[in-house]
Amino acid sequence: MRLLVVEDDADLNRQLVTALGEAGYAVDTAFDGEEGHFLGDTEPYDAVVLDLGLPKLDGLSVLENWRRDGRSMPVLILTARDRWSDKVAGIDAGADDYVAKPFHMEEVLARVRALVRRAAGHASNEITCGLVRLDLRAGRVTHDGNPIKLTSHEYRLLSYLLHHQGKVISRTELTEHLYEQDFDRDSNTVEVFVGRLRKKIGADMIETIRGLGYRLGEPVDE
Amino acid sequence: MQGGQPVGPRRKPRSLSGRLVVVAAVWSVLALAVAGFILVELYQSASERAFDAQLDVYVKSILAEMVPDPAAGEDAPVREPKGVGEPRFSLPLSGWYWTVAEAVNGEKVQFASLSLVGDPLDVAPLGSAENRSSFGTGPGNEEVRVRQQRIGLGSAEYIITVAAETAGFRADVRDFANQVILTLVVFGAGLVGAVFLQVRVGLRPLVRLRASLGEVRRGEADEIDENLPVELAPLAVELNALIHSNREIVERSRTHVGNLAHGLKTPLSVISNEARTASGPFADKVAEQATIMSTQIQHHLERARMAAQRRVIGVSCEVEPVLSRLTRAMSKIYRERDVELADAMPDGLRFRGEQQDLEELAGNLLDNACKWASSKVVVHVRQLQQGEATRELFELIVEDDGPGLSQEERREAVKRGRRLDETVPGTGLGLSIVADLAGLYGGRLELDRAEIGGLRARLILPSV
Repeated sequence: MRLLVVEDDADLNRQLVTALGEAGYAVDTAFDGEEGHFLGDTEPYDAVVLDLGLPKLDGLSVLENWRRDGRSMPVLILTARDRWSDKVAGIDAGADDYVAKPFHMEEVLARVRALVRRAAGHASNEITCGLVRLDLRAGRVTHDGNPIKLTSHEYRLLSYLLHHQGKVISRTELTEHLYEQDFDRDSNTVEVFVGRLRKKIGADMIETIRGLGYRLGEPVDE
Repeated sequence: MQGGQPVGPRRKPRSLSGRLVVVAAVWSVLALAVAGFILVELYQSASERAFDAQLDVYVKSILAEMVPDPAAGEDAPVREPKGVGEPRFSLPLSGWYWTVAEAVNGEKVQFASLSLVGDPLDVAPLGSAENRSSFGTGPGNEEVRVRQQRIGLGSAEYIITVAAETAGFRADVRDFANQVILTLVVFGAGLVGAVFLQVRVGLRPLVRLRASLGEVRRGEADEIDENLPVELAPLAVELNALIHSNREIVERSRTHVGNLAHGLKTPLSVISNEARTASGPFADKVAEQATIMSTQIQHHLERARMAAQRRVIGVSCEVEPVLSRLTRAMSKIYRERDVELADAMPDGLRFRGEQQDLEELAGNLLDNACKWASSKVVVHVRQLQQGEATRELFELIVEDDGPGLSQEERREAVKRGRRLDETVPGTGLGLSIVADLAGLYGGRLELDRAEIGGLRARLILPSV
């Protein structure tokens, strides 16, 4: 799961990136409206945390531009203006949720989690596939009730596959959603992570579709 | 030396109309009194002259009677006058007297009227004067008017004195004076009344100005009516300018407060998040204080909003667009909840107040309901019938199917700054803000059990 944080306050930006990173997301960051708009326009994010009071281009305009250009990723807006007229204006501009400042990080985490999950069509905070169960709130994975220890990249990979289970995901798409923008990407590493994950949750959970990518699903007995 | 020591007793400033009426009254009374006095004096002297002329007639009759019979020769003695043509000269002590005296030393009386019955008529000697009018005292101790005239008859000179009591003449003057006083008092009262009316009518624009200013203060009007007489119009214009500049200052300060508060929110987020990730007593203290600061900011922002000028007159907004916008936003934020705007909105229903406030009221209620609902939130709007209230009102009901609140909790929820569950995020003031804001508009918030299970919030607000 890859996120974009657009926030001009350096400290708050860092805190958001840290907290979201710890929660298992790959996080890109932007400090002004123009940069944020460019990133959101060109990179495939699973969700965006967008401050409304931004230099160069204000958050509402950024949001409106994305929506006009057909970018439909879920957007959580952060706003100091917490009158309902401001909130509704944000929602009407295309935001999916809002958090009023000052906020607790847990609240942002919860909202982001809900947005990502909702965008993938899951109603609950627990996603299961066969014996594998992912508790989004706790960031915990179990297999047949037994906890599984995962590295952060393995977690991101599994989480993405679980959110989009049943679908064929290309290696490029996985790369795009697993790594931050500046990360030195080597597509081979995806294969390495898939290999490790197979060992932990069962080899037949992740199917390799030659030339297309991977698919996570319940193993079918033939 | 300390300033502001009271210097002697200070009279309470009278009202403007009081001063005008009193000055007019004092002036009228003085002028009328002088006029009355002059009138009576004039009348009296005219009466005296007329009385003297009447007495002169008797002097002439006495003289005519005294002239000796021409048939009796040149040296015939003067005759004693008899009738004189006035019977009162013959009645004893009637108040009407005459005497004829020789105009020599001692002015010895030669003839006298019968009415004197031998008593002398006590008058000062005429001396060398031709004639004289004076007041004297008659033998009956009555005041008399005395007319003396020196005449030459043949070789001798006589002084004819006629006296008549003044009682009738005095009564006449008194009657006249009474009539004058009565007339002038009526006239004076009329004058004061006219002044009073004039002041009342003349100062009415001042009353209007005051009423207009009161309306501005109570927020019923935007500015003072400048349609006033030329003397007051500039004052109204200046007052309006003052009101505008005052409003601007307030508005600017409020914007500053808002900007300051909003500007603090980002650093405050940073501080409290930083403190929450660290551990130890220092971090705990910082987190605690940051929470207090955050509550304070929220509280004061809320207060600034509450204090915002609410110009009730003429300000209204349509209810339907506000509610559908909010419902749409809520459905997006709370995707798992089914937020429905039940039954048709009353046609053209308008809230008597500012749109932002209606958004705040409905937004908080809807948000609260969505937060707690397990699946469903229903919104009803209904115009209340005239019979249910003296003013036009409408009700906004928001129901959810969540856990609801106990009677005790419902009472607590609408108290200022109460937040029943700290674990569900929100502004923390939700329902109590709604109650306060509704109160400002003369409306109210009622909490009850909803038929579909959870909380039923009924908001009553003024409509147009």
